[in-house]
Amino acid sequence: MTATPEAAVAPGSARPGEPLVELHGVQKWYGDLHVLQDIELTVGRGEVVVVIGPSGSGKSTLCRTINRLETVDQGDIKVDGKPLPQEGKALAAHRADVGMVFQSFNLFAHKTILENVTLGPIKVRRTPKAQAEARAQELLDRVGVGQQAAKYPAQLSGGQQQRVAIARALAMEPKVMLFDEPTSALDPEMIKEVLDVMVDLAERGMTMIVVTHEMGFARTAANRVVFMADGRIVEESDPETFFTQPESDRARDFLGKILKH
Amino acid sequence: MRLRSALAATTAGIAIAAGLAACGDAGSDDEGRDVDAKSDCDGKFAEGSRMAELADAGTINVGHKTDQPGVGFQGATDDVPKGFDIEIAKLLIADLCIDPASDKVNWEETISDNREPYLESGKVDVVLASYSITDDRQKVVGQAGPYMVTGQQLLVKSDSKIAGVDDVKGKEVCSVTGSTSLETIKAKGAKGVGADSYSECAEKVLDGTYEAMTTDGTILAGLAAQNEGELKVVGDQFSTENIGVGYGKDHPEMCEWIDGVLEDAFADGSWAEAFKLTLGPSGVQTPEPPTLQPCK
Amino acid sequence: MLDNLDEFFKGFGYTLFLFLVCAVASMALGILLVAMRVGPIAVLRSLATVYVSVVRNTPLVLIFIFFHFAAPIIGINFKWVQVHVGSFDFTSAFATAFVALSLYTACFVCEGLRSGVNAVPMGQAEAARAIGLPFGGVMTQVVLPQAIRASVPPVASALIAMLKNTSVAAIFFLAEATAAMRGLTNDYSSQRIGIFLCFAIGYIVLVEIVSMISLSLERRWRVA
Repeated sequence: MTATPEAAVAPGSARPGEPLVELHGVQKWYGDLHVLQDIELTVGRGEVVVVIGPSGSGKSTLCRTINRLETVDQGDIKVDGKPLPQEGKALAAHRADVGMVFQSFNLFAHKTILENVTLGPIKVRRTPKAQAEARAQELLDRVGVGQQAAKYPAQLSGGQQQRVAIARALAMEPKVMLFDEPTSALDPEMIKEVLDVMVDLAERGMTMIVVTHEMGFARTAANRVVFMADGRIVEESDPETFFTQPESDRARDFLGKILKH
Repeated sequence: MRLRSALAATTAGIAIAAGLAACGDAGSDDEGRDVDAKSDCDGKFAEGSRMAELADAGTINVGHKTDQPGVGFQGATDDVPKGFDIEIAKLLIADLCIDPASDKVNWEETISDNREPYLESGKVDVVLASYSITDDRQKVVGQAGPYMVTGQQLLVKSDSKIAGVDDVKGKEVCSVTGSTSLETIKAKGAKGVGADSYSECAEKVLDGTYEAMTTDGTILAGLAAQNEGELKVVGDQFSTENIGVGYGKDHPEMCEWIDGVLEDAFADGSWAEAFKLTLGPSGVQTPEPPTLQPCK
Repeated sequence: MLDNLDEFFKGFGYTLFLFLVCAVASMALGILLVAMRVGPIAVLRSLATVYVSVVRNTPLVLIFIFFHFAAPIIGINFKWVQVHVGSFDFTSAFATAFVALSLYTACFVCEGLRSGVNAVPMGQAEAARAIGLPFGGVMTQVVLPQAIRASVPPVASALIAMLKNTSVAAIFFLAEATAAMRGLTNDYSSQRIGIFLCFAIGYIVLVEIVSMISLSLERRWRVA
């Protein structure tokens, strides 16, 4: 395998502690509902942060604010030291640097798998088509769906589609990857194939913010676990501490329900 | 100019009241002749004839045009139409002992397309709507007369250099969609364009879109009079239209009756008087009465 | 009727030409309008909304009358259009019919496309934004291609209605099929029913062709 940018920021070579994503004093309301309250969060370069919490806790909203698919009412969000642009070309350029994987895959239904992956590089990065296709094929091979390149999304299983979505995001050479419940819409037997790809990505040093219910992934791949409830960050710690000695009642309660399954 | 302002007001969809007032104004210059109903209808018509039925019923439906000044015209605020066609119709109505000025007469607008259908379905009893007598029409309806012989001419702007039909070869000339005039002008080598009414054609000649419009000279004379100083009738007549009275093909007995009424009108001067009153103001000289065609 | 086949075909020639140029123009304008309507710029959004509601709620005949008899008064006319191809003349009447029909039909195309845009899941546009496409790219690369597929049936209906609406031009100086029919029914009153049938069949054939194209597009795109 050729050297890739995310390989270049593998854990060893990362400048530890250097903040890549910073949220400071973030507030958001939906009408009267205070969905994000006083959010303070810093994610370092090369760090893998897993955000967990009961549904409605605001964890997906938090994830989506980082590439401004959701706007915030107050507070600052910085990526790589630069505040989020409000709109227009600068915002588009920012989004190009932040990869996003959605719960429902959102592959472009009218484009082939290969076209899904090359669209961004060709239209946004202005990469020559041949080069973009070669790189796309490489990424598809890496996530294990290289054989499906000519098919359309509807012809693939959910797990395959989500792996394509990861390849699509990676094709933009993002600084950070956001995962918004990437396995929640998948049948159980397909969850592992997606998590394997994500673990591999984490091992290569990609900075990742992952909203998930997969405690296994949190245990094995996360540097840090952030627990949210009612729009607040209630607790954050390393996975081992979080799963064995949660500090808050909310977290203990939540873990109790989850781990019984 | 009156026509133009009326159209502009109504088509712009504003000042509807003003538009109506202008339309009413355009049609109310003359009130036509007073024609008294006859009172000799008992036994005048053969038993079972259509005329006897109409006289007994005391009502009649008459098809006419509404957009031909001097011939058959009805403004938006006019209760009854006026023009030469209407004057002839009144003579026929009066002969059935029906008062032409009363509400026993149902004046029904017939556009070129629906003259035959209306006669065939019996929606109208007679049609006097600048209705040219043709062989093909006589296959489906009856036609008596003619009570007027006219011919197609051209109406152009007053400053136009067009002097006759030879000058419009290859040019676009306006007439009414589906009219004989439109077919004739095409046969003369012009490019016919069809409008919904003669007044729309006149509007398009006035605004310079088309250099000329064409139809029967009598109608053009009326339009020229309405737009005095802006439009003029030019050239010789290049077709002969025998304008007759249409009636239902099921009632052939009506032909002799219509011809009889027309003969009387030719003889007693009421035909000439009607012509002078309706078409005279447009500058048309009153001609000799036409020769009637034999009934079939 | 058989003696006048040239009139028949010439009339439908005008009808077909008018349909084709109006189809292209109303699609282009419809796409522009729908982009304005779903776009992020509030001024354009309200402009397009007002345009669609005004023009769509106006009878077509009124729009024709406006361009023929009101617009010339304020200096808008199409007298300068003089295109002659073979025996066909594309002049003022054709240009006016083209403008009136295209402006009118664009509203229905826009609404058809908008229903298609609404049928594209939100996630598609979000994913497109997430890879850094600007609004134009989101629309042209992701939303509209799918919206157009979803809106083939309503847009085809709008175009079929437009094809039949070309007949309105008959009373506005254009010698298209309906005008040719009225010329023939005037000349041959006794054969009126036959003439009507022939022209009705002419329209039906044209409409059928358009629906078949629409159906095959629907079928081809459904596989994908």
